[in-house]
Amino acid sequence: MTEMIDHRAAWPRRTTAQNLHALLTMPAGAILLVFVAVQIGCIAAGLLFPDDFRYLSSANMGIMMRSVPVLGCLALGAGVLMIAGEFDLSIGSVYTFTAIVMAMLVGNGVDAFLAAPAGLLIGAAIGLLNGALTLRFNLPSFIVTLGGLLFWRGAVLLLNGAVQVRFDPNPVFNALFSGTLLGINAAFIWFVGLCLVFWAMLHRHRFGNHVFATGGNRSAATAIGVNTNAIKLMAFAIAGFMAAFAGILATTRVGSVQPGQGAGLELQAIAACVIGGLSLRGGRGSILGVFLGVMLIFTITDVLLLMRAPGFYLDMFIATLIVVASIFNHGLDRRGAAA
Amino acid sequence: MSLLALHNINKTFGPLKALTDLSFEVGHSEVVGLLGDNGAGKSTTVNLLSGIHRPNSGYISVDGQRHDFTCRRDSAEAGIETIYQNTALVDCLSISRNIFLGRELTTRFGFLDLKQMRDIAMQVLESAVHISGIESPDKLVGDLSGGQKQAVAIARAVFFKRRVLLLDEPTSALSVRETEALLHQVLKLKAQGVSSVLVTHNLYHAYQVCDRFVIMSHGTKVFDVAKADTTIEELTQHVVLT
Repeated sequence: MTEMIDHRAAWPRRTTAQNLHALLTMPAGAILLVFVAVQIGCIAAGLLFPDDFRYLSSANMGIMMRSVPVLGCLALGAGVLMIAGEFDLSIGSVYTFTAIVMAMLVGNGVDAFLAAPAGLLIGAAIGLLNGALTLRFNLPSFIVTLGGLLFWRGAVLLLNGAVQVRFDPNPVFNALFSGTLLGINAAFIWFVGLCLVFWAMLHRHRFGNHVFATGGNRSAATAIGVNTNAIKLMAFAIAGFMAAFAGILATTRVGSVQPGQGAGLELQAIAACVIGGLSLRGGRGSILGVFLGVMLIFTITDVLLLMRAPGFYLDMFIATLIVVASIFNHGLDRRGAAA
Repeated sequence: MSLLALHNINKTFGPLKALTDLSFEVGHSEVVGLLGDNGAGKSTTVNLLSGIHRPNSGYISVDGQRHDFTCRRDSAEAGIETIYQNTALVDCLSISRNIFLGRELTTRFGFLDLKQMRDIAMQVLESAVHISGIESPDKLVGDLSGGQKQAVAIARAVFFKRRVLLLDEPTSALSVRETEALLHQVLKLKAQGVSSVLVTHNLYHAYQVCDRFVIMSHGTKVFDVAKADTTIEELTQHVVLT
């Protein structure tokens, strides 16, 4: 309370401390600060020890840009759904399932430009199904989509068995999703573009306003006349759609689909959202936060790999990051705006 | 003709008779105090008027026209806005986004016209609803005090030209200064032609601003009197003794 009074008294001239406080209470302010600090550290280390710490090498940058988009797209979809107040644990399985369907269609002679939209539609439809079950029977989405996780994982094996499927699309499709433009990986451009689209949709569009209201205070939103069920259904569909899109990016990059590839990705996506400042209870978060959350996970993974740390350090670092981020965010839970 | 009227309303919840043959009216530019002890049926009445419950028999009329409210939206479209203690605001959204929630001002393709929403919110908060301490419509509603939240809810009602405000125990969570500001606001809105129903068991607050008093007990009306014809002692007696 005293802070607020000080804040007002000093208006409009603010001290550094107040600016810092304002930054930290922004929805993605703290994560932005951490991200910038990590980047500065890495770049400095990369310049000082170019031979031992190849952070700035073009090979390393290329690897980063290729690995970020898949989890990034999953996290964008999962993030919108989380802000609307629901979860989707099935996105990892949906990601594999739609990729397998797409690869099989292409293998049977269907053009990739038809097979990919089919995969996206299936993803959105599975999302809608999750949403319909959750809302119709008033169940926690955690349970419904846990069912989805197991069901679609099983469906992958039913459809194709435990073997990998080759994906051989036409060259145009390949160039569009895994080529490079001005030295930048196409998938990364897709991801950044989608971030901008999601930002506009969530922070500047009526739909986003309703998403925040639905997740923030569902009964109030309903009372005012927001169709919260429709909003949640849309959010589920978006999560499924983005899972399928991540599937397209991953499959085009690798050229094949492994039946087990999506396992655990749903939790990583949720972790990225949590690190980015999204509340598990809904209503709080930002697209910038999701973007930074994903970037931070990969930056830290990358740093540990460059330092040749054993694999288990990765998990332990990410785990610590998640918990520290949520402790920090919990203190600010009432804050965080749609702006 | 009265602005809002209840006609012989009965409402039961299973074996419980919540309201029995309740009738009263709210006139144009009138502030009515709906008084009564706990369990008198005040909240049920508010819920009926805001479309949350439906009467078993009897009906509600607005401008002499019968209206059957099936949801809160029906009641809002008829010009009634209910302002609860925990009023229907979303804490994680800014003031201007709350005021326009569900009725956003948009440019083409549904994108929000943030600047216009902000300007109007500021204007409404400054002119129609003057409660100190709200300096920016970009503040999050979650950071406001109880009185400021009600001010935002009232601002919303004013901007969308509601004709009757139902204030359900509006003063119970407010500071003395906020209460004064709220009561002052009710009078100011009355001067602009907005009627109010003040539901409270604080007789002193009601006596300050109301033109007429409806006292309820055990689900029905036991006293209906204009302020000029009564005293606060008489009102107290009716609330306590019936």
